[in-house]
Amino acid sequence: MSHLNKIRNVFSAIVYLIFLISGFQNLYAQDAEKNKVRLKADYVKIMDGEVYFNLGATSRINKENVDVANIELTISNEFDDDEIELGKVITDMEGRAKFVLKNLAAIQPDSTHTYNIVISFKGNDAFTRASKSISFKDAIIKANIITKDSINYISASLLDAQKDSLLSDRLLNVQVQRLFRPLPIGKEFNSTDENGTILVPIEEGIPGVDGKLTFEVVLKESDDYGTVKALVNAPVGVPIVEESTFDKRTMWSPRNKTPLFLLIVPNLLIIGMWGIIVYLIVNLFKISKPKIEKNENI
Amino acid sequence: MKVTNKLINDLAPREFSKAGVIWTWLLIIISVAGIIAYIDQVIKGQIVTNMNDYALWGIYISNFVFFVATSFVGAVTVAVLRLTNNSWRTPIVRIAEIISVAAIIMAGITIMIDMGRPDRLLNLFIHGRMQSPIIWDVIIIPTYIVISLLLLYFPLLPDFALLKKHFKKTSPKLSKWYGKLSLNWTGSADQKRIQLKSIQIVAFLTIPAGFMLQTIDAWLFSTLFRVGWDSTNMGAYFISGASVAGVGALVTVVYVIRRAYKLEDYITDYHFDKMGKFLVLTCLIYLYFNINEYLIPEFTSKKEEITHMNVLVSGKYAPLFWFVNIAGLVIPIITLLFKQGRKPLPMFFIGFLVVLGSWWKRYLIVTPTLLNPFLPMEGVPEEWHHYFPSLHEWLITAATLAMALLIITILVRYLPIIPIQRTADEQKLLKTEKNTEI
Repeated sequence: MSHLNKIRNVFSAIVYLIFLISGFQNLYAQDAEKNKVRLKADYVKIMDGEVYFNLGATSRINKENVDVANIELTISNEFDDDEIELGKVITDMEGRAKFVLKNLAAIQPDSTHTYNIVISFKGNDAFTRASKSISFKDAIIKANIITKDSINYISASLLDAQKDSLLSDRLLNVQVQRLFRPLPIGKEFNSTDENGTILVPIEEGIPGVDGKLTFEVVLKESDDYGTVKALVNAPVGVPIVEESTFDKRTMWSPRNKTPLFLLIVPNLLIIGMWGIIVYLIVNLFKISKPKIEKNENI
Repeated sequence: MKVTNKLINDLAPREFSKAGVIWTWLLIIISVAGIIAYIDQVIKGQIVTNMNDYALWGIYISNFVFFVATSFVGAVTVAVLRLTNNSWRTPIVRIAEIISVAAIIMAGITIMIDMGRPDRLLNLFIHGRMQSPIIWDVIIIPTYIVISLLLLYFPLLPDFALLKKHFKKTSPKLSKWYGKLSLNWTGSADQKRIQLKSIQIVAFLTIPAGFMLQTIDAWLFSTLFRVGWDSTNMGAYFISGASVAGVGALVTVVYVIRRAYKLEDYITDYHFDKMGKFLVLTCLIYLYFNINEYLIPEFTSKKEEITHMNVLVSGKYAPLFWFVNIAGLVIPIITLLFKQGRKPLPMFFIGFLVVLGSWWKRYLIVTPTLLNPFLPMEGVPEEWHHYFPSLHEWLITAATLAMALLIITILVRYLPIIPIQRTADEQKLLKTEKNTEI
């Protein structure tokens, strides 16, 4: 009986050892092949507009930072020991993704009125799991245009939404929306005064379609409040005289708007040349006509 | 009648000698190798070429420009000499017409080889914009092919009728074909009248068509606002360059055919002397245009122009640049200015040098300009600054050249390369004139 027990123990030990080794092998295989993913998240709030998170995933492979494309990121809202999944996004070819909230009311703050968001990646065959947490409070920018002594100014105030208190000594950027990137106006750094306000003069002569300009007042990547942006539309620019040739016949138009001389001259040449070619081919038929042979015989 | 019979015996197409057969098979083998490479290119895409974001036109386009230039021989030799009644042209015009047909057909095929998606060729006609010189090229090439074929065909009609009779007993099948091609030619007054009128018209038509073809080819470059291409002189420059390439090719082919078919009695030293004078004239004009093209940018010294000039004159393209200009122009000019240089054998070597120089000249027109763009991009891979054709490109290009030579070879095999009827008429006329003088 003891002999049987001994065999049973040895057998169990071997099976255990096999499981252990295979388990280590699996672990080793995963560790050897998988790379770490670094997640990046920025919170952006547009006043009276959307709220979104700019997400990014990179990995250090062969001493180079590589964008991690096509991975699924889960966005969750953490508050008071609760975690609610808000949604999922997949990174694009540049390893970026954007997750849009309808508004800030769609998520809940914790007891300190701080919003906590967790972005997580559950891992796959190539990359290990990763997560990133960001926390921010809600801030409000109130911006408008005022005119003093015929000079237009952007006036903006920065408030903590929860406390409803003005925030002083915060840097705000003022810029005008342009086609490729915004054009900064005023000083490089505009710090809010004790009333949480800035006043930036608008230069004259900024061109805009019909003179309309869109100004942006931006609290940029604040540790406490993230990025908050207020947009102000105002017809204070110099109207752009549109010189579009879209409806004109030009050398760069599509084929239905070819300049008339380029339709007439080449087509006349084509018709002329091919007319002569057809005439010459008809001549070949005339030469081969039996009538001519008959004449010759006569 | 005796004169005509002798002419037919001398000038009627003959079977190839052993060397001719080997030559033909060699051309077929090169063509097949190129076709295989092209099929591979179509399957894998133009990744098999060494073209890149900078050198987006490579050897295919320079080869295309060479073919277009060579095809100009039809206009410059046949039409001009015919319309100016230069009687010495008779033994060489048909060879010029044959070269012209072969070159323009291969130009059309070569441009299709350069297309990444040749299956979309029809889109050029459906969606083409008349503002684009590429569309003008698409229109003028088929037009010039048809005109070149007509220019070759009309003068052949009486010769086909003669060959029909000549081969009636010895080769009935060939005789039947010649009969069909002769379009029931009997030599009636009506037929002659229509034929002569048609030749006159097609000769007239060839000149503007040839000029248009070369000019459009030049405008493909000069409308692109690139260093080395952005020149108002480009049209005239291409026409003069095409004359050099065309006449050079003509001299070379005429020499080979004369030797292979033993036509020394028909294509004499006198003809080579005339062709030599013609070639030196075209070379001198082209040299003048070259001086204009290279000297003015050197004087004005715009930054990009100087960069381009340095690449050509003392940079990595310098050996090719000096070869093209010295071997392809200066040496031919110096040699051909002397009577001894216009003898058949020196003329053959000079013609060959000119053709070689002309081919590489097109490579120099296309490639260095593309490698020095006006707006260099940042972080461009090093290999984009260099271009040398891949094996696929060499094989395909060699095949197109072989195919052009194959077309010439086949036409030389089955067509009378010296116009029989016209030579007979001229000899009769000569005799009549002599008798009258006596």
